[in-house]
Amino acid sequence: MRSLLRPPALIAAALTLTLSGCGFSGTQTQASQPSAAADTSQRIVVDNFRAPVANWAVESDAAYILSLSGCLETLTTFNQAEGKVLPSLATEWKQTSPLDWDFSIRQGVKFQDGTDLTAESVVSALNHVLDAKVPARAFNRTMISSVTTVDAQTVRVSTPAENPLVPYRLASVNTGILSPAAYKAEGLDPFGHCTGPFTPVSEKAKQSLTLDRNENYWGGDVQLAGAEIRFITNGATRAAQVQTGEADISLSIPVASLAALKADDGVSVLGADSPRTATLYMNNGRAPLDDVDVRKAIRDALDLDALAASVYEGAALPATGPFAPSEPWAGEKQDKQQQNLEQARKRLAEAGYTADRPLEIIAIVERAEFADVAAVVQENLKNIGIPVTIQSKEYASAEPDVLAGNYDMLLSQRNRLIDIADPIGFLTADYTCKGTYNLSHFCDPEYDRIIAEAATTVDTTERYKLYAEAGQILQDKAVNAWLVNEQATDAIRKNVLSYEQDPLSRYVLTAKTGKAAS
Amino acid sequence: MLQFITKRTATLVAAVVVSSFAVFLIPYFTPGDPVRKIIRSRVAGDAVDESAVQGLSESLGLNDPLAVQYFRWLGDFFSGDMGLSFVSRTPVAEQVLPALSVTLSLVTMALVLAAAVSLPLGILAGLRPGSTADKAITAVTQALIAMPEYWVAPVLVLVFALKLSVLPTAGWNDLSSAVLPALTLALRPISFFTSAVRTGIIDAASADHVPAARARGLSQGQAILRHVVPNGLVPLSTLFAVWFAGLLGGSVIVEVIFAVPGMGRLLFDAVVNSDIPLAQGGVVVVVALAVGVTTLADFVHRFLSRTVGASLA
Repeated sequence: MRSLLRPPALIAAALTLTLSGCGFSGTQTQASQPSAAADTSQRIVVDNFRAPVANWAVESDAAYILSLSGCLETLTTFNQAEGKVLPSLATEWKQTSPLDWDFSIRQGVKFQDGTDLTAESVVSALNHVLDAKVPARAFNRTMISSVTTVDAQTVRVSTPAENPLVPYRLASVNTGILSPAAYKAEGLDPFGHCTGPFTPVSEKAKQSLTLDRNENYWGGDVQLAGAEIRFITNGATRAAQVQTGEADISLSIPVASLAALKADDGVSVLGADSPRTATLYMNNGRAPLDDVDVRKAIRDALDLDALAASVYEGAALPATGPFAPSEPWAGEKQDKQQQNLEQARKRLAEAGYTADRPLEIIAIVERAEFADVAAVVQENLKNIGIPVTIQSKEYASAEPDVLAGNYDMLLSQRNRLIDIADPIGFLTADYTCKGTYNLSHFCDPEYDRIIAEAATTVDTTERYKLYAEAGQILQDKAVNAWLVNEQATDAIRKNVLSYEQDPLSRYVLTAKTGKAAS
Repeated sequence: MLQFITKRTATLVAAVVVSSFAVFLIPYFTPGDPVRKIIRSRVAGDAVDESAVQGLSESLGLNDPLAVQYFRWLGDFFSGDMGLSFVSRTPVAEQVLPALSVTLSLVTMALVLAAAVSLPLGILAGLRPGSTADKAITAVTQALIAMPEYWVAPVLVLVFALKLSVLPTAGWNDLSSAVLPALTLALRPISFFTSAVRTGIIDAASADHVPAARARGLSQGQAILRHVVPNGLVPLSTLFAVWFAGLLGGSVIVEVIFAVPGMGRLLFDAVVNSDIPLAQGGVVVVVALAVGVTTLADFVHRFLSRTVGASLA
């Protein structure tokens, strides 16, 4: 098992990855041993961290549960290890005009209810998502103008403006394809209507989903007889269940449970860079944080190594900027932020800051560790003469003030790949002048120009270069203080076979996932 | 008696209406936009699409004045319709009733367990006040009050699931999965019940009719069984009902830690997600049940008092 306590080696590996153009967190994602023989009569139990709340609506987060459990499939998939979009229910695709993409639908695929996957059923499924009252982030009417059939095997997805990311959008779990019979007036019925290796057979409300092997799976033999996905929202309980053997796979293990799991011989702890960076958001629109020197001074004051080692117990790496170093768009300049109190004091003095203006940090309570992070930051800033008060709040209660610009600093984090496996949505919403989620109240025309250009750049390498440039602007202007790159941590029993960790928990059970006889 | 029943029924209706209105208002008077909370609960993540906020607000009738929204709900409720959940768009009753049955089972188990433990302890302590046994029982049961559920639950998991491997860590599948959550919920009632029984026994034992009964020829044991224990248990009926009502909606932490799909979790999620119809429906059911149970306890209390009183006359 890889130790999580060797940051230099990890960063070196990550830089190598970046330079070689591999995908985000490709080599850091760990897989369990595939060599042992799978017992095809075995069933598996997965503890998931979220429960479905929206009656299985595919445009909601319930789609993640249907996807990770091997039921719901999409036209394309995003392969974390290779860092690219791969065929799934579509075998190939091409951009036929600046606004049109044609997808060839895989032939011979049957839904679990025995009906055929056709271009028409795909169009119907995707239009259902487009017409949702609460639209999916990755696939909605603002970015997709229509989905139509070209012929019996081809689906055309049209966009209002040139958009190179359509295949990425169709890898979003929210664009999962179910048979027409699944779409009912009272809500979505996924039972028997997916195409994946597992078919859901029963559900215990708010507790679990039980699935059986799909004997007619188009993607080959399925190694497990079935599975149970349990909805266990408490992280410590998930950790305990994989230790006792009640669960075979537990997703998203909290830091506090890591030591016990690592000491357990029957369990493997897998870590992968997650697209989340714990961030000290700074209000660039309000004094004294509207002064770049004050923001830089704050950054200089922070001891990120100590923060990662203490609060995160080594399960997170000190941040080097707005992206994790392993992300292919992180750029080559990946200097770790070093604490420099003298420089910080000098910058503060030059900016004319005095302790008469104390600052306030809002630490959101949804992430328990932020209370401790806030205390560490408070101590760091005290060392350079900035008095800080801490307010713990639920995110929902802090948001109105933060969006309105009535705050100093906020401890929070964002999923950069929340929509698709590309950060364009995040970089646009969070940092452009008209960004709908610009918590930092940052505005820079040059940054906006780069993002606008990236949004229409088809060539991936070129687009990633533009993202790196944009990231460098955010770093140079010290828009925020990026603290630690969080790790996605899963725990599996040692007899689980061919498990590949996905930091976003989109794909957990596949046809290859197996379990050795116990 | 008729007056008592009428009065109690009026109290029940008033409690339901007031509490439902209070719950209805909560999302509007807590920071954050209710519609955004609803969207977030369906689609996690931070940025919420403004057009989705407008569209959903409109379709759920959340742009109407508060009074209109409330009376619309009230009208539906009295016509037998608890409405649709804002988040899942499924009938509220379909979510509330299964959750209620789970919590009722859990709370009943916890209180039966608490009564089974506290009765002998309370009687033992009450019959020999000041003895070593009394002091030990009092010390232990008082210590239980100071143990919060969020601490007790992981400790029980550590001991019974991880170390001894005799019970499951979580879930709601069979009797074994109910043991740890019921035990966690029972600890505080054990403390209060034991204390109440002890006090009741001490009071009953010191009453004049006990020596009188002894003078009539009853043995010490007979006097205790006939006159001390029944009198000492009268206060327990009310306490039992109060805890029953409290635990119906107050078992959130235990239900989250042990992944129990009960009312506590349902109501907590409903309030956090601004799922107003679900919160209202859940609260109405819990309040009605709680008031009903305490009313029943009053009846039982009166009955026991009269019966015991009559037996002493």
